[in-house]
Amino acid sequence: MSLFVLMCLCGALTFSARFLPLTGWLPAKLPAWFERAMYFVPIAVLTPIITHSVMVTADSGIAFSDNLRLPAAGLAILVALLTRSVIITLIVGFACLWGLNYFGF
Amino acid sequence: MTSALDEFKRGLLDELPLQIGIIPFGLVYGILGVESGMSILETCLLSVILFGGASQIVFAQLVASATPAGVILASVSTINLRHLLYGLSLASYLKNLPLRWRVLLAYLLTDEAYAMSIIRFRSGQPSDYLHYHLLGTGLLLFIVWQISTITGAFLGTAVPASLQLGFAVPLSFIAVLAPVIKRRAEIFAALSAGITALILHDMVWQLWLICAAIIGIAVGWAVSYLDKDNQMEAVK
Repeated sequence: MSLFVLMCLCGALTFSARFLPLTGWLPAKLPAWFERAMYFVPIAVLTPIITHSVMVTADSGIAFSDNLRLPAAGLAILVALLTRSVIITLIVGFACLWGLNYFGF
Repeated sequence: MTSALDEFKRGLLDELPLQIGIIPFGLVYGILGVESGMSILETCLLSVILFGGASQIVFAQLVASATPAGVILASVSTINLRHLLYGLSLASYLKNLPLRWRVLLAYLLTDEAYAMSIIRFRSGQPSDYLHYHLLGTGLLLFIVWQISTITGAFLGTAVPASLQLGFAVPLSFIAVLAPVIKRRAEIFAALSAGITALILHDMVWQLWLICAAIIGIAVGWAVSYLDKDNQMEAVK
């Protein structure tokens, strides 16, 4: 299979996942239990991406010690809670990571 | 009641701060795409065709390791299954729009656009033009993503790996999520999903993400049910 065809197939599958729920084929009123479950989608999807990106190393191990991303992410959480600012959180997070790296931690 | 232009501008402004995270993420993908053996054109084309950061990076990594096409397809599909959940949670707001709108918004529906627009949709402030908010968030992200990708692809290996630009991805999500996780059910949903992702981190085809999401949703749902917390439905 050529790379271009593979790209198109992946694109079609991705678009299908995004578009199918908007087709109107679903019932007009979703059950209350389902709507309650949908409330948790952002938290339940984005949190694993965060923990995986921070904790899992390139060789598929989990790093608790000697992992500079961990304190940087912890500080970023604190800053996000205090400031509610994406920009400040990013700046402090990267400053912490690069600072720890620079000073040889 | 806000106008269409107000909503569009609000979407742009809400999404703007996230671009600080998107730019390095796009650069990382662009660099990785070329390093994986794809041409600059193919690297940039994938950004337009797929338009999904995490899945594009996985695609490039799997292409670099000469993974069979079937496995690449399955991996990308699995990673992007979460968009089905995003679409489902937005369906009640968007499903009555004309087809051309739904096609456009479905294409633009990414993690970051969803993260900002769902907050607006659930804000309780009524508007007939909520879809313009998602158009604003999605369109800005699309433009910045394409520019970042092209820049990364041309920069190639000139950006030192020691900068760890990929760290922008979790930082962006932390900035969006941390302030909104307040109730017991939300805290339990986040903890259970995050821990599950670590336990299952080496599952094939990145299945850890879908498994962790399902566990997080189930735990959040159960705790909110036990707490008789009806806020989750009231915010709709």
